Amino acid sequence: MNSVALLVVLPFVGSLMGLAGKLARAPRFFSIAAVLPLVPMAGLLAMSLPAVRAGSVISYAMGGWPEPIGIVLHLDGLAWLSSVLIVVIAVAVCVASFCRTGYGSSFFFFLMILISGMQMVVLTGDIFTLFVSFEIVALAAYVLIAYDQTDAGLLASLKYLILSTVGILFFLFGVFLIYRDFGTLSLATIRTLASERGGPADGLTVTRSIHFAVAALCVGIGVRTAFIPFHTWLPEAHAYAPHPVSAILSGVVIKVSFLAMIRIVWTLSAGYLNELLLWIGAITSILAVIWALAQSDTKRLLAYHSISQMGYVLAAIGAATATSLTAGFSHAVNHALFKSLLFLVAGTAIRMTGERDLFRAPAIGRHSPILAAAFLVGALSISGIPPFNGFASKQLVGTALGGSPAYLLLRITAVGTMASFIKVSRIVVPVFRLSPRRVATPASIDPLVTGAVAPAGTLILFPAIFLALLCLLSGLFAPSLAAFYSDLLAPAALRQGSPVAIAVAQPGGLASLYKSAKLIETAIVIVAGWLLYRLVLTPPGKRIAGSIKRIAPELRTVLLYFVVGLGLFALFAYV
Amino acid sequence: MSWYLIAAIFVVGIWGVIAIPNLIKKVIALSVANSAIIVFFVYYGSLSGRTAPILSPDAPAGVPPVDPLPQALMLTAIVVGVCITALALALIYRLYKRYGTLDARTIERAVWELDE
Repeated sequence: MNSVALLVVLPFVGSLMGLAGKLARAPRFFSIAAVLPLVPMAGLLAMSLPAVRAGSVISYAMGGWPEPIGIVLHLDGLAWLSSVLIVVIAVAVCVASFCRTGYGSSFFFFLMILISGMQMVVLTGDIFTLFVSFEIVALAAYVLIAYDQTDAGLLASLKYLILSTVGILFFLFGVFLIYRDFGTLSLATIRTLASERGGPADGLTVTRSIHFAVAALCVGIGVRTAFIPFHTWLPEAHAYAPHPVSAILSGVVIKVSFLAMIRIVWTLSAGYLNELLLWIGAITSILAVIWALAQSDTKRLLAYHSISQMGYVLAAIGAATATSLTAGFSHAVNHALFKSLLFLVAGTAIRMTGERDLFRAPAIGRHSPILAAAFLVGALSISGIPPFNGFASKQLVGTALGGSPAYLLLRITAVGTMASFIKVSRIVVPVFRLSPRRVATPASIDPLVTGAVAPAGTLILFPAIFLALLCLLSGLFAPSLAAFYSDLLAPAALRQGSPVAIAVAQPGGLASLYKSAKLIETAIVIVAGWLLYRLVLTPPGKRIAGSIKRIAPELRTVLLYFVVGLGLFALFAYV
Repeated sequence: MSWYLIAAIFVVGIWGVIAIPNLIKKVIALSVANSAIIVFFVYYGSLSGRTAPILSPDAPAGVPPVDPLPQALMLTAIVVGVCITALALALIYRLYKRYGTLDARTIERAVWELDE
């Protein structure tokens, strides 16, 4: 059993520890034992870096059965980076989960199953195992969302279950079509067959059923990645889950499914989807930010921003230029870092004050300044303010998109993001509550003054500081980091026949990150964001926000979107 | 003909998930759609041969065995489907105990009004 298999097996062993804790009635000890396997996982990943960086692929055939028959795991550059991301976020989330004593060892059982499933998703080399690992991830996620058994949590979990099961049925149908036409499920074998059938570029796209298969696979994964029109489960599921669960769901779960989709699109040479992805990404980002701006629930606002930021990633990948893969991946990583940070701190603030509504919640800034500072780092990152990482990756996305008209939509999104983070920062910084229409809370009932606020605990400070530092460092060293990403991603992309030539980003090209033109542009975004924020707080703005908030599609409407989305993807292939 | 029949079962399942407000019936419809996909695989596999794919000396000679892979895959898919159904029913049971109804529209209205 080599290091690749251990990456999947170790978290699974950890989850068994969690289960043992349920039986042995020593939850604290076994909960810690359950999360410990993350340490050797990090070690394994560090050890395999030189080989992966040299462009080789570490494989493990389960049970000794080779590629077309058995289940084979591959660790290439893309898988390595995703795996590292999963481990980093998982460590932060596990530490944060120990802050609240309410999570028994069964919580860690499901958390480790989730991590094991995500490792499977990024490592697996065939599409049926991909289906199984998606379902492992999903089952663990459903239970974790409903873990607190609040009414909203239960319904959000059920809604997610129904929608993503319908999505995965389409996925399975796509798997069927692929199996019927190729007689194999392994991505590598499909790739070989495709090149034998005549050229890697158009060998596959000739049959209509493959077009439909790609569409079905994309719809299935699209539900997990939550881009418009498949996004409707996400705001509730991420908002009403327990706080650490929201962090891991928004941080990595929606990303690993997207990375799986990139692999499938490459392997099946479905380059014709790029333009569709570009526009879906741009539209997703702008619509989601409008909804985010209208929310008054802290976590719902953050959840809508997850959709919006995934739109950036999608648009970058869809642009299909030389830097697009690096740009998209950087933004996915950076979003994972700052969104987990924001969810963890916002969750702690909600736990302290017991108030989810950001207009009513007292600011925790004076009470725990470190948490407030960490939250502001996250907010500045997501709004794209230098020197934090969001600025770097948003500039990269801009470079990747080039002069595409879709970039205009992303610029408007940046303004909306700025405005909504000025709005949400009032949960940590009291300065933003000086808005004229607000009545100050009398000191006698202010929970921060009367001491009714629960203590944050010192344990939450570690993941908060850790993630905030990562946000800052990955912003400061963005050029070298981007070169590192493209070093690792390029061989993986070429091996799977990416239609996009991936240029290794030249350090010179990225050093121009802090050019004055870009800084002026950022300043304009800040000013426009502030104006938009004031606009939203005026009475007509509040009325519009209220009516946008009420447009929450029912379950049945959402399912109709699915069928429309499937048709859209399939139609796009024929045109 | 059989292909159309299986496709019809799938469409009926999806229609049920969309149109029927009763949560239990939604889960039944999901299972129906899931079964349709399983039948797709198994029926396709059954066309590939005429005898069981067992390596043994007294297997009939000259008769091609069926492709065993679709059946093996579908065994996994069925297990996954059972897990999903069980979890969905558990969630619905909790919701039913709190709201006393299985109507998706009523429960949705009641729950999301909590955050107004």
